[in-house]
Amino acid sequence: MARTVLIVDDHPSFRSSARMLLESEGFDVIGEAEDGAGALTAVAELHPQLVLLDVQLPDMDGFQVAARLTANGNCPLVILVSSRGIEDIGPLAARSGALGFIPKAELSGEALEALLP
Amino acid sequence: MSPFRRALLGLAAAGVGFGLLDATLTATSDFILLPGLWVAMTLWLGWGFIGVGLFAWARRPDNRVGALMAATGFAWFLGALGFSDTPLLFTVGQMLGSVFFVAGVHLLLAFPTGRLRSSFDRRLVTVGYLLTTIGVLPLWLFAEPRDLGCDNCPHNVFLIQANSSVVDVYGLLINVVALVIIVVVAVSLVRRWRDATEAERRFVVPVYAAGVALMVAVFVSIGVQTTGTGDTVAEIAFIAALIPFGLVPWLFLATLVRSRMIQGGAVGQLIARLGEAPPRGEMREALSRALRDPSLELLYWIPDDRRYVDARGHAVDLPDPGTGRTVSPVEREGRPVAAIVHDASLLEDPELVRTAGAAAALALENERLDAELRAKVEELRESRARMLRAGLEDRRALERNLHDGAQQRLVSMALNLRLARSKLRDDPVAAEVLIDGAGSELDEALAELRELARGIHPAVLTERGLAPALATLAGRAPLPVEVIGDPGADLSEAQELAAYFVVSEALTNVAKYAHASQAVVNLGRENGRLVVEVADDGVGGADPKRGTGLQGLADRLAAVDGRLEVDSPQGRGTTVRARIPCG
Repeated sequence: MARTVLIVDDHPSFRSSARMLLESEGFDVIGEAEDGAGALTAVAELHPQLVLLDVQLPDMDGFQVAARLTANGNCPLVILVSSRGIEDIGPLAARSGALGFIPKAELSGEALEALLP
Repeated sequence: MSPFRRALLGLAAAGVGFGLLDATLTATSDFILLPGLWVAMTLWLGWGFIGVGLFAWARRPDNRVGALMAATGFAWFLGALGFSDTPLLFTVGQMLGSVFFVAGVHLLLAFPTGRLRSSFDRRLVTVGYLLTTIGVLPLWLFAEPRDLGCDNCPHNVFLIQANSSVVDVYGLLINVVALVIIVVVAVSLVRRWRDATEAERRFVVPVYAAGVALMVAVFVSIGVQTTGTGDTVAEIAFIAALIPFGLVPWLFLATLVRSRMIQGGAVGQLIARLGEAPPRGEMREALSRALRDPSLELLYWIPDDRRYVDARGHAVDLPDPGTGRTVSPVEREGRPVAAIVHDASLLEDPELVRTAGAAAALALENERLDAELRAKVEELRESRARMLRAGLEDRRALERNLHDGAQQRLVSMALNLRLARSKLRDDPVAAEVLIDGAGSELDEALAELRELARGIHPAVLTERGLAPALATLAGRAPLPVEVIGDPGADLSEAQELAAYFVVSEALTNVAKYAHASQAVVNLGRENGRLVVEVADDGVGGADPKRGTGLQGLADRLAAVDGRLEVDSPQGRGTTVRARIPCG
């Protein structure tokens, strides 16, 4: 059964491209959110298995959203994405409770699977 | 002669006539014990108040102290009619015999401006006038002087029925109210003395003396009324109590003369000190001593900015009216040089401040040059800090624009190309659509990068010069823009860049806010400076103090010793003008 995914990013072009890419690689994209508050609401409603979370959001940063999403036991897996490089984001991603980090330009089903348990 | 002067002369003549009438009535009175003394007191007190009052009024028509002083003198003469043997004059005079007390209180409370300071003071004086006019009328409906111990007094023309009990009770009531008013006035005067500035105290000395005198006079008056007018001792005591009150106008006059002499001498010392060429920065001290105002401050005029600065070059606001501080400008050869900010009480003698300012004008001009230099340094320091902040903000904005714009498009393109590659064999049509999409994203990203690069530094300016760069800006504007004139060829790169950004920012503002149908960019030279002007026919109302765009331009221009002017009347378009030194 395909993994369910929520894409959180404030750029529609990225959400659209990421949805097409992940769906073509066997993931089930069940929702999109454009900011942190929207992400928290969507997770509560849709219960995705995986959240693809942009680091830079208009209302709060992706690290804060990741920390709140992973604060309790029954939480989705969170993978942070950014157009910045891993050298800027990597150490912070580990501390936020996220599973890992993928630069946006390198996003693929294979990259995701490599991080998933 | 002016109508005002004629009116004052008329009042003076009336005062002389009124005094002679009272003197005649007093000298021939059948019921007072010391007519000679009363004649002397009547004339000395009445003519003193009227004479000094009219003199002060003529000297300072805008100050009501003179008028109030003259009114006190006339009120005194009105009361002195009560010495007449004619029943009507006797009754009116006796009845209104205390009005001069209230006029005196009015004068005290209104000192030194001539205007009552608070609504409480106005109410107090109004109660006093009502009490000594309408308030005493009921008393005179029942008072018969002969029944009250004055055997030779004329009869009371207002008498309805003699009733000594009503007179005693009502008289006591009025006296109590009068005492309360006097106590309130005394407390108020003490407070004012305590709160007065050093400069003010010079003028309130006679006022304070008058307050004491008035209290004594009222207490004695009450004593006389209690014991009856036939008592020679009480009458002498009353006359003695009036002496300090009668001194008030003369004390006032003496204060004016003394202050002019002392201050005239101080101005003389100031001029002598100026002759010794005092070190720069000591003018405040010298003027403060000359005008005897330790709180005195000096501000210096900066003509380019049309504002005042203090000695350190910091911009300052002038004091508002009603704050007890006032401003006397100092000019030299018709140009503003400085402003003396001083205690408002010094305006009692505005000529003195003008004289001191005029004497110090040359020295102040030198200090003004120092202050102007410090203001420039301060302005540069602030401008440098603003430019530093603006530079950081620009870098942040650049990073944001790159991240949100071109970078996102390139990311999207990378994903689409990867997806296209995966579909190339199984679904070539879908792959073609994805590659087309990636191509469009690439075009958009390139356009955004070009725009960003132009914002950092316009390549056309470096490659082709200012005039073609401005023509390019005009061509890109979303409204018709005409470029007139020639900037010349002797400008440095920094100067050209400043001119370019003035036009660029101004045209951006026109497009965003002006609702204009067209704009004109005018280039020319004036007194060795390049003048760049952008004018539109829009709604106007632009304020350089709001927003950072115009302030940023001013800072950019300041870095090349240029200046920015914005003329933007509401509804009549906006003209942004930059003046940049050439060469």
